Amino acid sequence: MQTFTVTSYEMAKDCYRNKDLRQALYDAGEVIMADVLVNLHGDAHRNRRRLENRLFRRDTFMFYERELFPEIIADTLAPHLAAGRCELVGFSHQLMMNLAALTAGVDRPQGTPEETFRLYDYLTTFIEGATLAHYTGDRAAKAREIEEKLDLFDAEFLSPGIARRKALLARAAAGEVTDDDLPRDVLTILLRNEDNLELTHEMIRREVAFYLLAGAHTSATAFTRVMHNIFTWIASHPEDEERVRTDRSFVQRATHETIRMQPSSPIGMRWVLADTTLRGGMQLSPGDKLVIDLLQINRDPSVFGEDADSFNPHRELPEGVSPWGLSFGGGMHACIGQDLAAGVVSFDDQDQQQHLFGLVPVAVQAMFDNGCRPDPDDPPETDSSTTRPYFGRYPVIFGQS
Amino acid sequence: MVLRVEIDQDECLSTGKCVADHPVAFGFDADDLAIVLPGAADVGDESLKRAARLCPSGAIRLFGDDGSEIHVR
Repeated sequence: MQTFTVTSYEMAKDCYRNKDLRQALYDAGEVIMADVLVNLHGDAHRNRRRLENRLFRRDTFMFYERELFPEIIADTLAPHLAAGRCELVGFSHQLMMNLAALTAGVDRPQGTPEETFRLYDYLTTFIEGATLAHYTGDRAAKAREIEEKLDLFDAEFLSPGIARRKALLARAAAGEVTDDDLPRDVLTILLRNEDNLELTHEMIRREVAFYLLAGAHTSATAFTRVMHNIFTWIASHPEDEERVRTDRSFVQRATHETIRMQPSSPIGMRWVLADTTLRGGMQLSPGDKLVIDLLQINRDPSVFGEDADSFNPHRELPEGVSPWGLSFGGGMHACIGQDLAAGVVSFDDQDQQQHLFGLVPVAVQAMFDNGCRPDPDDPPETDSSTTRPYFGRYPVIFGQS
Repeated sequence: MVLRVEIDQDECLSTGKCVADHPVAFGFDADDLAIVLPGAADVGDESLKRAARLCPSGAIRLFGDDGSEIHVR
């Protein structure tokens, strides 16, 4: 068995589309990632993805972006605006969790801050589970803690949510309610197809926890990084300061550029299942492992230009190159929430009124609308609990400077 | 060149990207898998190539005048 590193943009795209390569990135995080969508392969993956994709379509995202999310942003931001300050890492996870909970199907029937805090506590533990390979502490102890938190999450949030949905599904089967009365979330879809997909309770539990953590964590991490990159950019390009408030396309490009330079996961990994040859001639055998070096690929000057190593929200790219590089993966495992988080690229022949900007740009712009800027007396800190390059704290203040 | 487009439904993951981007060219069947609509003939080759490129599962297949497949990825 050999490990190969892929550093070419075209070869990496080929990897993502190759059916003889299987997901390997989350092997260390099995406690929460076993059997979840991103870890499935072949028919099992296709069948589940087809069902779950029904929730991740443009019309649903448009509703989120224009109707649902502005209200969630306003509610989540209100206490911080009142205080005149905010810590971005915690704030962004709370904000994105509020939306991810809706998508995943995690109800909060009490609607109290304490209930949300408990869910947030579970979320942060689940995030550590998904990134266990990069955890710097005792991994076995962390895995046990995650298992315990999964049990608590199940008892408080998941099982009552399943009971509510099963009762509704029974009423739908009896003709007492219509499909329009059912929640549009991952949990409901899984319960409707529990038998077809041969799902156990534990599999449903991990899938819902995965959607909660993936939906919240990746967008929250990108949000803080975009804020930081825009702060840095406008300090040296004051001519763009007003655009952050008036031009949402600019904020979207800053988001794409951030995601290109700082992908949620710095690498992709695949196991080789069968003899295969990649574009460019790399020959692979069963049992080999591929590491897809996204940091290097996304900064390749031959693809992204001579200044590929710099943040530039005005970057121009040739047709066919995604502004976020390969940070959302590609092929059958391309990130299911990509359009929701970062919107879509606009083309001249499409209806601009229907353009989707993405939740991260919308949330970032809301911060700048309120005069958000770094706290000069409390600089940001990195997160030392992981080898991933995360901010641990990022204090900001609001109002006119 | 006027491209002919087909959907390989075994590959389709039902993401709906093609339907959202080009609603006159693509739709869903009763199983929520993508299908080609008659309007595909009017959207132009470049739009069809982009739809094929953006399809995560590679289910959109394009063919030239001589019947040979055009690979755009």
